[in-house]
Amino acid sequence: MNNTTPAIALASVSKRFGSKVIVHDLTFSVEKGEIVGFLGPNGAGKTTTMRMIAGFTTASSGRVTVAGFDMATQNEEAARRLGYMPEHPPLYDTLDVSQYLRFVARVKGVPRTQIATELDRVMNACRLEDVVKREIYKLSKGYRQRVGLAQALIGKPEVLLLDEPTAGLDPGQIQETREVIRAFGERHAVLLSTHILPEVTLICRRVAIIDRGRLLAVDSPSGLQRASEQTNRVSLTVTAPAGALRAELLAVTGVIAVDARAVPGIEGMLSVECQTDVREGMEAAIARAVSGRWDLHRLERQQPTLENIFLRYVGQNPAGGSSK
Amino acid sequence: MNGVVAVYHKEMLSYFRSPIAYFVVAVFLVGTGYFFTYNMFLSGSASMDETFRNMGILILTLLPLVSMRLFSGEYSGRTMELLMTLPLKTWEIVLGKFLGSVTILLLMTAGTLIDLVPLYLFGNPQTTTIIAGYIGFILLGMACLAVGQFFSALTQNQIVAALITVPVLLSFWFVGHLQTFQVSYTLRELVSYLSFALHYADFVRGLIRSEAVLFYLVVSAIALTLNSSYLQWRR
Repeated sequence: MNNTTPAIALASVSKRFGSKVIVHDLTFSVEKGEIVGFLGPNGAGKTTTMRMIAGFTTASSGRVTVAGFDMATQNEEAARRLGYMPEHPPLYDTLDVSQYLRFVARVKGVPRTQIATELDRVMNACRLEDVVKREIYKLSKGYRQRVGLAQALIGKPEVLLLDEPTAGLDPGQIQETREVIRAFGERHAVLLSTHILPEVTLICRRVAIIDRGRLLAVDSPSGLQRASEQTNRVSLTVTAPAGALRAELLAVTGVIAVDARAVPGIEGMLSVECQTDVREGMEAAIARAVSGRWDLHRLERQQPTLENIFLRYVGQNPAGGSSK
Repeated sequence: MNGVVAVYHKEMLSYFRSPIAYFVVAVFLVGTGYFFTYNMFLSGSASMDETFRNMGILILTLLPLVSMRLFSGEYSGRTMELLMTLPLKTWEIVLGKFLGSVTILLLMTAGTLIDLVPLYLFGNPQTTTIIAGYIGFILLGMACLAVGQFFSALTQNQIVAALITVPVLLSFWFVGHLQTFQVSYTLRELVSYLSFALHYADFVRGLIRSEAVLFYLVVSAIALTLNSSYLQWRR
């Protein structure tokens, strides 16, 4: 893979089962050295898309390439460069952890002399040292999830596909797993599907939002926030008479609505939410209007959360919003 | 071939960590021991002929228990997603699994060699006939496993896989009886050619006919090819 070839590229990819369209005309790419979050409600087509990239199912139309190899014709070449962790970790319950990982390493073509070192590396990265010889059916959900991740990391693949990698983990394990993914994503390409929105803002450089098989947006988390800001919120705490304050704020150009409530227990103090349009400098204009006449205790501009952005995109989808 | 070896190795580990292989081998050896003892000491026949016939029917019903999990188990355990996304060709998966189950068949066969001790002690058997019988038995077993493996790829329920395989194999076994209905010459030739039992009977009599050897190998090859094509199509 040279530097200009995207690690994962989907061009007008669709998947139909009978007459049902699961994925509709999807086009996006993931570059080397970036972690892309794949967001969508249940049934949005995330897993089907992941499976098409991994080569488990083929696209009905369009082209999927991994490291420059076409999944339809050069499946095996692509598979050598791919680590895939499906939604349900594909584990052989009767094997122990090291036997299982050894099997994957052999199939991925890790040279026999390097298998032991490679297993140590992935087991160390996924904190599996304590369960090396334990049969997989005896493992807790968290450990099973981590064995699934370790399997995907074997052979240092150029491209890593992770379908909800932190599902079922406790907060400590989630933190560790994110670190593993972040470290891996510095030099490789990672596509990460998840429901957990903060995860995306924490580790992903870009986000793709999908609903009902359609791609709604692809951008950086901050880009999505900017793009979705049709109105802003400025909240402030001020000691002032409610009526006069409201009139003063509404007189400021750009302020659309004002909601002032008394702060319980502190006489005369108001907690105020101003809805404004998207022009620059609204915070300063509001501060100027208030601070000369009354005591201003706090003033901040509220960023829309990714949850709101996500819900807004999914809600706007002409295909009919969230399916579940 | 690296993929075939890796899949084979994984299969062998799985067999000996689940009770089913032990169970099948044990039932087969107890059954064969019973038939052998009956034939040798009660019927007084110091040859393996009758025992080979009994062994043929026995593996027809027991090998589906070995083959039923080959793919059904991968579907229900959700591990098929791993196999199909690793750098493996479908024929490598199919062949690796087949060789694994054939190894179990060879172990079962090896277990019956103990019957030869009293046979040679008390009788005067023909070694070449016994060798021919064993070759026929292994070829028959391979065909049964290949057919069973194909049906296992069609369903994620192991029991269903076995329940389809057993009647199909029994049909192949008994189809030769249809030649008694002498409707047409071609039909008679066809059913006798398709019969697992008639080809097997040649081996038991001590004949290694290339036609019979080829028959079992072709049945196995067709079943394995269908198996591989089906997995490819399933993508």
